[in-house]
Amino acid sequence: MKIAITGGKGGTGKSTLSTSLALELSHSNNVLLVDVDVECPDDHIILSTTRERMADVESLLPVFNHDKCLKCGKCSEVCRENAVVFVKDRYPFIISGQCNGCGACLLVCPSGALKEGKQVIGAVYKGKCQRNISSENLLLIWGEIEVGCENTSLVVKSTKDHALSIASGKSSYNSKFQSINSNIRSSEDKPLNSPYEYILIDTAAGTHCNVINALIGVDLALAVTEPTPLGKHDLELILSLLKIMETPVQIVVNKADMGDLNLIHQLSQDSNFPIIQEIPYEKDILKKHSRNQPVTHDSIKKLANSISNLPIVGKEEQ
Amino acid sequence: MKTITILSGKGGAGKSTLTASLAVMLAEHNKIVAVDCDADAPNLALVLGLQEKEFESRESLKTGEKAYISRKKCQSLKFCPKCQATKHCLDSCNYSAITWNPEEGQPEINELLCTGCGACLLNCPTKAIELEEVENATIGVGNTHYGFSIVSGQLKVGESGSGKVVNALRIKASKIAREINAKYMILDAAAGIGCPVIASVRGSDYALLVTEPTPMAFSDLKKAIELINHFNIPCGAVINKWGVNKDFSYQLQDYFQNHQIPLLGMIPYDIRFVEALVNLKPAVVYEPNFKNVFTKIMKNCRSEMEKI
Ligand code: SF4
Ligand code: SF4
Ligand code: SF4
Ligand code: SF4
Repeated sequence: MKIAITGGKGGTGKSTLSTSLALELSHSNNVLLVDVDVECPDDHIILSTTRERMADVESLLPVFNHDKCLKCGKCSEVCRENAVVFVKDRYPFIISGQCNGCGACLLVCPSGALKEGKQVIGAVYKGKCQRNISSENLLLIWGEIEVGCENTSLVVKSTKDHALSIASGKSSYNSKFQSINSNIRSSEDKPLNSPYEYILIDTAAGTHCNVINALIGVDLALAVTEPTPLGKHDLELILSLLKIMETPVQIVVNKADMGDLNLIHQLSQDSNFPIIQEIPYEKDILKKHSRNQPVTHDSIKKLANSISNLPIVGKEEQ
Repeated sequence: MKTITILSGKGGAGKSTLTASLAVMLAEHNKIVAVDCDADAPNLALVLGLQEKEFESRESLKTGEKAYISRKKCQSLKFCPKCQATKHCLDSCNYSAITWNPEEGQPEINELLCTGCGACLLNCPTKAIELEEVENATIGVGNTHYGFSIVSGQLKVGESGSGKVVNALRIKASKIAREINAKYMILDAAAGIGCPVIASVRGSDYALLVTEPTPMAFSDLKKAIELINHFNIPCGAVINKWGVNKDFSYQLQDYFQNHQIPLLGMIPYDIRFVEALVNLKPAVVYEPNFKNVFTKIMKNCRSEMEKI
């Protein structure tokens, strides 16, 4: 079962919840936790995991062959990222940081002066818990972008693809990085005979392309929020995205006794998305959080229980 | 005019709290404009107590394009008559936004994944694909109750291109700033270090880093610092929730000292900050006692900026 932990606002506790829930579930299941908050992944810090680089994430970066270039400037015209700088009668050049690897310039060049090159824009890591946490059944995979990279959703996708291929028991971690032009849609494959009962996907904040890529193909999304006007505002946004994506969703209210819980209850009623669990705001939780320890709390246990009792959506279709 | 960008890497570290209070303090003696650069989940206006209906203007913005198979324009047609089912477009899309629909014998474009790069068009032998501009965001201008304007964007749910929206917000804010001859423009950046944050930081005069004494916030902060260094922007730091974890707070202090990043101030951990947020008031307005803290940050920030 693939469960995304998401929520409109930053700082509501997605990482805390993801790691705590992963630990809780791993007492009696094999759990794969995938951190695709690739700009600032934190789960490995909370879980104090080992850190092993599995693969580079590469994106296409065109390379010029000046011998063939006609100085026509077409490559610069089609580039919507303004990554190709062209001055009349000069050879064009590329600003690698701006290029998102779409390949349009390659397609338009009349003389074949552009070749497919690559740039490393991030990496996929894996780690096992080092802390004396009883669980052997928890593997963490996470993605990290190179600083300055703007094409972050490719790193999300690639991290997910790696994780899912491990989950399906299909390929080893060392498998070569997917070809840049491939149309791998492994995110939508149902892992068959997976050694992992649960795949938790910890997304970035917001509703942008990163989050969308993280949410594709999940069976359930947990939308984490807090009972403040800001929390409500951001919850509305993520709920409307999940609606568009037709993803089943349950709401988790974090810091539930801080602020005005009615705000969220009202929204839950109006939108018909149920609240599955409320997690209180306790000094102890905050303390653990600040010392980067995962939280063990009754409310997390309850949440894990409710999740294991949910019917697995999508199974019956097969 | 000086542009100050407030960023933290990690979400929830206190950017909006700091931005709101700092803006209110600065506005007491200066003309300023505030910009919420988190177009994906904007909340600076809310933190400043400005409701959506109080915005003076809100216009729609087209900073993105999407590809579509031409038949979409002519709804009565089930198939695109131009498409010859060559499948070239499938190979040309590097974002897996195009899939094959075997029932219709035609490609299908997933709007959520299309970046509007235009590669598929170039590869289609029959020009069956076109690009169309989409309204992907709105941009609003409002007058806060504290004597300054705020420019705030809102990306449509499921749309991408927040970097370009941030650029549009900055252009709008600069125009207002010129009209009123503002002294400061304050940008509240999004979380992370991706394209919207890059668009906020690029060309700023000063970066204000907010962090809290947790290992996670620290890890994210280091990335934000790397980004700032990448663009060569001078910066200073503020530690929020000082006291939640004393040992770690001192560790942070050491880090800043070793990296020549001036520590402009510390914000204590206090439940009243949360209450201020819940009551939609800037912290310095909700609890005037907090003024000392923010005055110090503001003063230090200004004197650091004068050194540039
Ligand atoms: S690959 Fe795309 S983004 Fe990169 S330079 Fe070519 S057209 Fe521009
Ligand atoms: S399109 Fe090709 S030939 Fe024309 S300027 Fe670009 S690289 Fe040179
Ligand atoms: S490339 Fe053009 S003609 Fe070929 S399948 Fe795609 S849309 Fe149809
Ligand atoms: S415009 Fe670019 S992203 Fe969109 S479908 Fe075409 S190739 Fe894919």
